[in-house]
Amino acid sequence: MESAFELEKLTKKFGGLIALDDLTLSIPERSIVGLIGRNGSGKTTLLHHVVGLQLPSSGRCTTLGHPAATLGSEQLANIGVVWQENRFLDWMTVDKHLRYVASFYQNWDRDREQRLLGDLELDPAARVGTLSPGNAQKLGIILAVCHHPKLLLLDEPMSALDPISREQVLAFLIELLHEDQATTVISSHVMRDIESVVEWIVCLDRGRVSVDSSLDDLQDRYSEWQVTSARPIAGDFKEPWVLSQRTNEHKAHLLVRDAGELIEWFETKYDVDVQSQSLNLERIFPLLHRGSR
Amino acid sequence: MIVVIDQHSGVPVFRQLRDQIRFQIISGMLESGEELPSTRALSEELGLNPMTISKAYSRLEMEGLVEKRPGLCLVVKQLDTNDIDTRRLTHFRQSAKSVAAVAKQLGLSKETAMEVFAEILDGANGDKERG
Repeated sequence: MESAFELEKLTKKFGGLIALDDLTLSIPERSIVGLIGRNGSGKTTLLHHVVGLQLPSSGRCTTLGHPAATLGSEQLANIGVVWQENRFLDWMTVDKHLRYVASFYQNWDRDREQRLLGDLELDPAARVGTLSPGNAQKLGIILAVCHHPKLLLLDEPMSALDPISREQVLAFLIELLHEDQATTVISSHVMRDIESVVEWIVCLDRGRVSVDSSLDDLQDRYSEWQVTSARPIAGDFKEPWVLSQRTNEHKAHLLVRDAGELIEWFETKYDVDVQSQSLNLERIFPLLHRGSR
Repeated sequence: MIVVIDQHSGVPVFRQLRDQIRFQIISGMLESGEELPSTRALSEELGLNPMTISKAYSRLEMEGLVEKRPGLCLVVKQLDTNDIDTRRLTHFRQSAKSVAAVAKQLGLSKETAMEVFAEILDGANGDKERG
């Protein structure tokens, strides 16, 4: 499979601060990827590099087959971006603004635009400067998708949206995958938002990739064990794959990694009963960071 | 075909899908020869990534529960009675395990647990709505 973009040993320094640290990553075409990480982990900086807004201190970024630093209008016409802080022309109305941006694209899809305006209940006559943060995000999303981008980058696109609009935007992303075979990267730290649509997770931790895995595999790796013992439990469990534990006399609560096959072994060894449960992304998230617990 | 997915349970969605469709097949809710919705249709209906749907479908195919027809739609396979019985038992054993674990944790005697279970089974039989 071709990659939508690729980073090769990319490092970005801001003075003494290392924002991206020798980062290598390849995002396959036609996928929906969740880019997660704590504040300041480098998510936005990474996306800036993908579209050439920032240049690496060393290493390379290739986007849609071209060096990101020299993307031409042809490649940029295939990219859609929603930044965390949108910069709009506040004095225009929503409709004027859409017409203005549409004029830069030959293939602007007026039907898609109108449908999204309706679905997201955005008033075309409203003045852009007076939009609520949520409505401004809706406008940002509509502006980014009506030219049928092959690559769509969304930086915290839904932080201000209400749950109904959020559902609509997520459903639309699926549609985009079907209709345009687009690659979408959504950065977010609201795990619930992305859990339903992403198939792949990239997690950044202080400028490095700490996870690059399918969501299914990630969910399979981490689980929560409720341990019941007839006899008093003697101290902490020392197994290296036990990530955290709370124990009292007859019960223990463990978070474990890669231990799916070990349940029976564990039950026999300690003469206990184990109930294993999956963890959702929100609960896996803290386990993906070095020394942050 | 009705499936209900909990996207935040932590159980991989393809597995939830696979389990629910498998249950509908072995319980006879989905009959042999019946067509499964296309990947795209189901993906849009449930708001799920199409990769997730194809993953669930290919697992069901590997398990021998569904097969591809010319034209690439998936249909429920004809299973012989022995095969179905085995699969039903396997499934039931799995569900019974977690109930047994609760009984153990609560310290119920085997007799008490069996008694309650028998009582519930009888009740469920008399209850027409549970068909």
